[in-house]
Order: sequence, then C-alpha cells, then structure tokens
Amino acid sequence: MNVADLTFQSDVAHWSWTIALFLWFVGIAGMGSVAYYFSRKAPLAITILAAMVIGLLLVFSHLTRWWNLPISLFYAVLEFSFNFQSWMFWGFLILGIHVVLAAVVVLANLPFLQRYWFLRWAAVLNQSNLFLGLFAFVGFMATVYSGFLISTAAGVPLWNTALIPVLWVISASVATVAVIELFYVFGWAEEREAAFGLRLGMGLDVMKLLAIVAFIHISLTVGTMGAQIGAERMFSGDLAVMTWVGVIGIGIFVPLVIGAYTLVAGKKKPLLVVSAVAALSGVLFLRAAVLLAGVWEPLVI
Amino acid sequence: MRLRRGQKPTRRLAHIWNEANCTACGACIIACTATNAPEMMHREEKGWKSLASNIRRIESVNAQGRPTMLLNQCQHCEDAPCVHTCPFGAVYYTDDGLVAIDERLCIGCSYCVSACPYNVRWKHPDSGLPLKCMGNACLELVAARQQPACVQACPANARDFGDLNDPNSSVSQTLRRLPSRLLLEKAGTKPKYFIVESAS
Repeated sequence: MNVADLTFQSDVAHWSWTIALFLWFVGIAGMGSVAYYFSRKAPLAITILAAMVIGLLLVFSHLTRWWNLPISLFYAVLEFSFNFQSWMFWGFLILGIHVVLAAVVVLANLPFLQRYWFLRWAAVLNQSNLFLGLFAFVGFMATVYSGFLISTAAGVPLWNTALIPVLWVISASVATVAVIELFYVFGWAEEREAAFGLRLGMGLDVMKLLAIVAFIHISLTVGTMGAQIGAERMFSGDLAVMTWVGVIGIGIFVPLVIGAYTLVAGKKKPLLVVSAVAALSGVLFLRAAVLLAGVWEPLVI
Repeated sequence: MRLRRGQKPTRRLAHIWNEANCTACGACIIACTATNAPEMMHREEKGWKSLASNIRRIESVNAQGRPTMLLNQCQHCEDAPCVHTCPFGAVYYTDDGLVAIDERLCIGCSYCVSACPYNVRWKHPDSGLPLKCMGNACLELVAARQQPACVQACPANARDFGDLNDPNSSVSQTLRRLPSRLLLEKAGTKPKYFIVESAS
C-alpha cells in the first residue's frame, strides 16, 4: 500500500495524551457519580470532584486559544451562536453542570464545612435520591459525551463508529470499580461493596474485551482505508505493544486473573491494589491507543 | 456575511484545479502563504511537514509507477463537518457559499481540525487559529470582485474560482465542458473543490 499523504491525527490536531487523560478523568468522574448513588461516601465524592477539576484543567491547557474563552463565550451569548449540533457544545454544558453538582456533593461530605448553617442545604440535597439521581445521570452523560466527542470527529475514520461511546462507558465503569477496590484496601469502602465490585468488574472486563475486539475487527475488515490503517496500527503496527500489553494484558487479563484467584482463594489486599492499578492503567491506555491510532483518510494512493 | 439557519447562499463560490494543466510549480502554494500568512513564509507546518499554506501538495506514484500529484485545500463543503462540530459557531457558511471562521468565537479546541475529512486545516503557531482556504486576505480580494491569490499566481491557468450558480461563470462553463471529479464524494459533505481531468 503506497499511501502518500498518511497524516497522523496527533501530529496535526494534537489529540493525544492530554486528551486521553482528560477522557480518562471524565470517565472516572462520570461513572463514579453513578457509583455514588449506591455508595455515598466522602472519598468517592472528593475523587469525583478532583477528577473533574483535573480533567477540565487538562482540556483547558490543550486549547490553543484558551485566553479567548471569555471573549468567545461573551460573543456566543450575545449573538446566540451556540452550535447545538456540536457534541463539544453539549460537553461544555454537561461538564459545567457536573462539576457544580460534584462540588455540592463534596460540600455535603466535609464535616468541617457542615458546621456553617449557610452550607447545610448541601447536606439536604445529598440525602435526596432525586438530586443524587440527577448527579448520576449527568455523570453518565459526561461519559457518553466523551465517547461521542471522538466518534463524531468526521476526519478520523477509525473513530467514526457507534462503538466508542459504548466502549467508553464500559471502560469508565471498569475504572470506577477499580477506584472502589482501592477504597476498600484503604478502609474507605465496605467489604460487600468490594465483593460486588469484584464480580461486576470481571463481567465488565469481559464486555470491554469483546467491545475492543469488535472495534478493531470491524475497522480492519470493513472500515475505510483510513480506519483500516488506524486499526492496523493498534493490531500489529507501532501501537500494538500499547494495545496488546497495555490495554488487553495489563488492563483486562491482570484484573481478570486476580479476580478469578480472589474468588477462589479470598481477598488479598496487595493483589487487589495490583488489580485496581492495572485496570485503571488499561483504561487510560485504551483511550490513548484509540486517539493516537487515528489517521486521516488518504486522498492519494 | 454569515448565513443564517435555513437560509440559502446567494452564490456558490467554488474552486477548480485542472490537474492536466498544472505544472506543479508551486506558485499557488507560495502565493497563498505570501498573501494570507506572510509571517509563515519560512516556517513549516509540522504535521504536514511542508510549508504552512492553505494549499497542500501531496505527491505519490501510481500503479504504473508514474508520479502523481494532488493539490488539496478546503473544499468549502455545503454540508461541512467543521461547521457541525464547532461548539460556539466560530466556523460558519457565508452567503457566498464559502466556509469561514470568526476569530472572535474560536477557542482553539481543534475539533474542526479533526472533523475535516480532507485534513486541510493547520494550526497557526502564534494565533492558535485553525487556518484553511480562504484566508482573510483572499476573502478581501473576493469581496473586491478579484480572484484569490492562487488563481492570480498560476502561470498555467490551472486554477479558477467562481460562482456555480451562474451558468455563464468560467467555472460553470469549464465543468460543463470537461470531465471532473470530487474528493471523498462518499463522505457526504458536498464538497465544492473540483479537479478537472483534461487540459483546457
């Protein structure tokens, strides 16, 4: 294949590790909010807010005209030029709402702030299933957004698949389960949560493996040339080590093997730490590999 | 003028590149940079590994072993993904049927860069703007009823620019007379950059 104008997306649009980390943090915060509905604990609330803030700072640092954000917002409001077709526009809204809701949840979870009468409304909201349901829904939508953001970038054919939002939700759920496992090791989560997380995590790992295989297989076999080249880079090219070792080996098989061993032999905290860190790393490697593999459709062959 | 939602453009300005006439001299590329971004004349677009210009030269060898060359640039699509993806409406259609950028509204998120199937946008290293054809200076030329810099600079008459809605325009006449093709037509973006395949 003689492809003259093969251009890597990461060389021109520069969506690489910074954006991968942003997507990773948004995924942890997003699906973490869903987990918070069931496990209302301060460490999880703080993790969600911290992940959101770090993720937003990363994406802000990636803007090549960040200084123009207030001006562009001013004119966009003045002229009502917002683009409702753009997933990035919806992302601004969803992430903005999510970070505010996460801040309320953190307020409610910090006892030294709850001494002040004027902050007690946060604790009232934190006990409302309706409010926490909204928090979970916005978190879920933030994760979904982070998938659609990529899959609607029409210039990179590898990404133009409905699988990415699904894969992002599954893998962000894996990351959230890993965070809960770490909390259990630190004594911040109950054993029943860790036990449920372990089984749920193993099921999610299998789903994630299936989704990754489908993503690469479909792109390799019936994708356009740009999609095939991208998938080839992940399968057997320069990103194969990241895919096979990082995404599948460390990210899926290590947690699966440790999970299976734990089911048979019982929980061992050092192993749970290894499993959780491996799962979290795998989720980050997945986002990085998919982003870095993106190439434009060759125009000259 | 920005085209409002549901409004139809009054003109459908389009570029023509006659690959049979083209001598690959590169005058259009240099003229584009010199006119629209003179500060980039000696600076490379790192992603493309070529001169930072709104026109990109792509070279290859065909199946018969003969060298081939394509001049690629913004297609001014009538269903442009860059317009659909820009969060604040910085990328818009003009009433002349062109795709333009409003610098006031751009935050440099690069979504338009990764959304363009033709890979025609490049980020200006100083302003952070995702630039493409047509640059501000060429838009001024067109507003003054002149041809863009690339058309003026071409010594082989391989380039033309005009209104597809006007049956008497030179571009309409050329497209009626000579065979032409569009790039990535199946992408559904309704591009308006016509590659004419035989010499005029």
